[in-house]
This record gives sequence, structure tokens and C-alpha cells, in this order.
Amino acid sequence: MTAMILHMLNASPSSTAFRDCVKVMQAGDAIVLMGGGIYAMLEGTEAFAALTGRGVKINVLAADAKAAGVVVPPGVEDIDMDGLVLLTEQFSRQLAWY
Amino acid sequence: MSAKQKRKILLVLRFLPYGSSIAKAAIDVALASAVFDQEVDLLFIGDGVLQLLPDQDGREVGSKSLGRLLSSLPLYDIDHVYADAEAISRFNLDPTNMLLEVRMLSELQIHNLMLQYDHLLGL
Repeated sequence: MTAMILHMLNASPSSTAFRDCVKVMQAGDAIVLMGGGIYAMLEGTEAFAALTGRGVKINVLAADAKAAGVVVPPGVEDIDMDGLVLLTEQFSRQLAWY
Repeated sequence: MSAKQKRKILLVLRFLPYGSSIAKAAIDVALASAVFDQEVDLLFIGDGVLQLLPDQDGREVGSKSLGRLLSSLPLYDIDHVYADAEAISRFNLDPTNMLLEVRMLSELQIHNLMLQYDHLLGL
């Protein structure tokens, strides 16, 4: 169990939710991309650059990535619902961005 | 932690005051939490800082002034209010002239603040 924050991002990289999430997250946090948040892992985008190299573990709901037709890049962990539940057990606090 | 112990809740307010019902819902959550004797503090970030503008008057757009509701929160012992310094500066707001007395926080301070709460509720 870590005291850090698990961020659940379900909003497009163009959204204020994305902007606010990136602003708040710090090394040791983790993020789960889902729904519209999937597009934040498009390689070569500013959004992806803003997420990487921050010491934040990036996870993505595999089914949502598949639905969006977005390839999971190296360094991003694809998880299923069981994996999501596991993550929520590891972090003592979560914050949804939508 | 037993259920009887107070849990600290941080409301993370990040929506515009009008245009959706989310900002109003957030204030309802704050009031309901206070009435049930929960410890709830407020953090305004991003667009949410625009809820703090003084002199709001929603009458002509057929809406209750959210500002009036917000300024009543200290009556319910909700008096720890924090705001995103970067957003306040980006919108060129005057932090000394806001509906509520706010403590300005940097990005790192916002994160550190969040770690002091049991629950984070973004709305």
C-alpha cells in the first residue's frame, strides 16, 4: 500500500481534466488511462510527453485501447478490470479526472 | 480506522460555475458533508478558480448565484480553502479579492495537500 495517488483519467488530452491531472501528479503516483483518456498515449504527442518521464507509472485499460484502435506504447502497462482492482488496493487514495 | 472516526475529505473543484450543474453539485456535497459532521476542505484548481470571482449575479441568466452559496460555506465550518496559484495567475485574478479567503498553492503543494486526506473527490 502506498500513500501516493492513483489518478483515473477518462477525458481527452485536449480537456481541462487532462491539463489539471498532469499539473497535480507527482513522482510515485500512478495513472490509469480509460475512455477518452486512452488518446493521451498516442506516441509523438505533447500529451504523451507530458505523462512520461515524470516517475508516474502509466497503465491503460486494454479493452478501451483496443476499442479506440490505439497501440499501447512501450513503458505503458495494459491492464484488465482485475488489474484495475489490484491497483486500487495498492493506492490508499484515488482521484477521478473526467 | 473505525467507521466512527472522522475521515478527512478534500473536494477538488475544477469546473466553471455555470454551464453545467457540476459546480453546484460540489457545493451540495460540501454542505451535506458538513451537516453530517464530516471534515471537508476545498481545493479549487484549473477552471474551478473562476468560481471564486466576487460580484456574481446569475439572475439574468436564470440561475442561482453560485457565489452566494459559496460564500455561505464558512457558516458551516468549512473554512480551509485552497486554490491553484498557477490558474489564478493564468486568469489574472486578484487572490485578495475572492469570495472566500484562499490559501494559494503551487503544484507540489497541491499534491502534498492531497496526501493529507482520506478521500479525494473531484467535481
